[in-house]
Amino acid sequence: MSEAVRDFFDDLTRGGGRMLRQVSGTVRFDLAGPDGVDHWLVAIDRGQVMVSRGGADDADTVIQTDEALFLRMARGELKPLPAWLRNDFTADGEFRFVIMLERLFAPPPGARHPRAVAGHAGPAEGR
Amino acid sequence: MKKLVRILDGNIFALSEDNGDMAFSPTNPSGFFAFDTRFLATWRLTLDGEQLHPLAVHEPSYYEIRFFLVPGHPTHYVDAKISVIRDRWISDSSFTERLTVLNHTGEPAEYVLRIDVDSDFAPIYSVVWPQASALRGYREVSDGCLRLGYRREKFHRVTDVFSSEPAQLDEGGLTFRIRVDRQGKWSTTLQVKCLVLRPDGKDVRDRLGQPYGQGGTARRPPSDLDGQLHHDLRRWIAAAPQLSCDWAPLTMTYQRGLVDLAGLRFSPLALPGETMPAAGLPWSATIIGRDSILTSYQALPFVPDLAATTLRMLAVFQGSVLDDYRDEEPGKMINELRYGEMAAFEERPQSPYYGGADVTPLFVVLLDEYERWTGDAALVRDLEEAARAALHWIDEYGDLRGDGYLWYHRRNDKNGAQNHCWKDSPEAICYRDGRLPGLLRATCELQGYAYDAKRRGARLARELWGDPAYADRLEREAAELKQRFNRDFWISGGEYFALALGPDGDSVDALASNMGHLLWSGIVDESRAAAVAGHLLGPRLFSGWGVRTLATGQVRYNPLGYHVGTVWPFDNSLIAAGLRRYGFRREAGVIAEAVVDAAQHFAGRMPESFAGYDRDLTRYPVPYPAANSPQASATGATFLLLRTLLGLQPYGEHLVVHPEIPERFGRVELLGIPGRWGRMDAIGNARLGKP
Repeated sequence: MSEAVRDFFDDLTRGGGRMLRQVSGTVRFDLAGPDGVDHWLVAIDRGQVMVSRGGADDADTVIQTDEALFLRMARGELKPLPAWLRNDFTADGEFRFVIMLERLFAPPPGARHPRAVAGHAGPAEGR
Repeated sequence: MKKLVRILDGNIFALSEDNGDMAFSPTNPSGFFAFDTRFLATWRLTLDGEQLHPLAVHEPSYYEIRFFLVPGHPTHYVDAKISVIRDRWISDSSFTERLTVLNHTGEPAEYVLRIDVDSDFAPIYSVVWPQASALRGYREVSDGCLRLGYRREKFHRVTDVFSSEPAQLDEGGLTFRIRVDRQGKWSTTLQVKCLVLRPDGKDVRDRLGQPYGQGGTARRPPSDLDGQLHHDLRRWIAAAPQLSCDWAPLTMTYQRGLVDLAGLRFSPLALPGETMPAAGLPWSATIIGRDSILTSYQALPFVPDLAATTLRMLAVFQGSVLDDYRDEEPGKMINELRYGEMAAFEERPQSPYYGGADVTPLFVVLLDEYERWTGDAALVRDLEEAARAALHWIDEYGDLRGDGYLWYHRRNDKNGAQNHCWKDSPEAICYRDGRLPGLLRATCELQGYAYDAKRRGARLARELWGDPAYADRLEREAAELKQRFNRDFWISGGEYFALALGPDGDSVDALASNMGHLLWSGIVDESRAAAVAGHLLGPRLFSGWGVRTLATGQVRYNPLGYHVGTVWPFDNSLIAAGLRRYGFRREAGVIAEAVVDAAQHFAGRMPESFAGYDRDLTRYPVPYPAANSPQASATGATFLLLRTLLGLQPYGEHLVVHPEIPERFGRVELLGIPGRWGRMDAIGNARLGKP
């Protein structure tokens, strides 16, 4: 298991992600690394996130991928939903947790606040 | 778009020529579609090398069709010695076709029956907007199965074709060399399965516990399917209020609307077993936030459950980060979701796309209205955080200039939408003289939605979230917005509200239907409502069939312009509701009558839009060649117009009925209106002799 994966889940335990209060359920990540597959269980109780590492426990949704891809999602570099559409990872169980995965991950780096962009608004096309 | 025959079940559908054939060409939209992908592009039947021609096509329901075919070219009299029946239906995520060959001669005969099969695996977007598409992928023939597949990295779509009778398979299709007795028949059943495969060979949908097509229709044996769908439709219609009216076009449009709304329902992957309205069939059989919300709103007094699924689904998709490519911001509601290849590989931003500035305030509007009708306080509490995030979005991410207005400006300047409102075509937001404003825009109706969202959010905060301080703040902001809006958007020379503010805060001064939405939202000062109503019913905006999107006399006005001159029934339904809100009951009735009158020229199916020609000029509403039919919010227009005519309004635990019925309608009875009161009846009589 890589340091980066452990760091991510440590941070998630502390920060709690951006899960909505109406959400409860469990998501298990099966991450393939050089030394085999690690299982991480993220339990969400009315928006509160708890993380544990262990066996292949039952979960509402199971996400299977390799560590490298997982970390790209965790850093916000890859959007989970299109990654799922491309089969970059597989999901079993409840689809709503695939949609809400990004609430556990960092926002996309370099994204701009719309006000910052509107300040430099260009002319209309086809004027 | 070319007229094709079709069958569908939710977001799975097949389009073909009237002989049942599909023939690939980059511009031909025929094919078998699922999961926003064309799985079959060619499906062509020949008999002894000859194409077949239809004698009759029978469509008993939206998911099945029957073609009666004979060989040779059509003549005035066809003395056929052989005929072929093609029965086709959709079930269990498959396309099934039963071919029956009938020998009408007194001798046994031998025939060669051939089905050509091919696919381009095109995403729906490339079919609707034809591009240089080509047949693609690999072909595999194995024992009893012809497989067409397309791979791109790990992305994998597969079409498997099976036959119940032995066939000679090759990579281009199936051949049957058959012998049919005199006066005999032969038949085979062809099944076409579409698979969305993962690297482990499993179908992604199987792994997500999803009933495929429409709610509850999947996973049943085909023999039972017919009965199930009929039963489901009967139950749906029985649960809706019963309408009777002296004017037949209204009842016809209402009945048709109920059936169309049933067909528009689909079960989203994330909420299996529940249904919400898709935006339009066949090409928009997906979540389009605005359309799902508006349709759910329009249908609330009739089928309130759609709103609950829509609200919960949108909350699941609510934006949580800044993402430039998707024009996503925290708290924002989605504009559109697609599952096709272009979305997967981020060649299009619909995975999902958030480029709509109206969806987020409208979410709060629907949530409040839903509770007023149903009394479902649990859902409002459940979605409190989502609703607060939506309200926060208006101020934090919508107010782009910090001046208290809701603006939009795409950050995805590659393929994001220029206009983030319902009039989303590039030229829809224009000045009277035809110029287009810069891309930072604040259309007027967005301000109305924001005002309404804050007012309704305040009610929810006070009555259901126990947060009176937040309620006070929202009400104060709404009042300030209203005051500011009536000052800054009013064009005093013309006595109307500007279509938008441009990048410099200047008035984008076209006279347009958007003003009518302002009445619906309640943001218009009482003193100005009469002038607005006068414009809406005046000759520049009112065609005689309804209110045009853009008034005559504006340089970009075109009676056939998508958002610059056509008449949209959904638009008119909101306008009529707005007029009614401000006490212009007669005017609301004029619009309701005009639009329902127009619908009868479309066999009661409310069209997405029709041409804006003067009624006196054409005498009938000229259809606009829309891609989708039925379209959800057009279908919903009938329901909202009916609500407006009867003056239905929830008031506490009661339903207030205050009819104002134009003479032509006579008596209108709507029995069994569901709501927090149980079931109530509403009856209205036209006041005879009243102008």
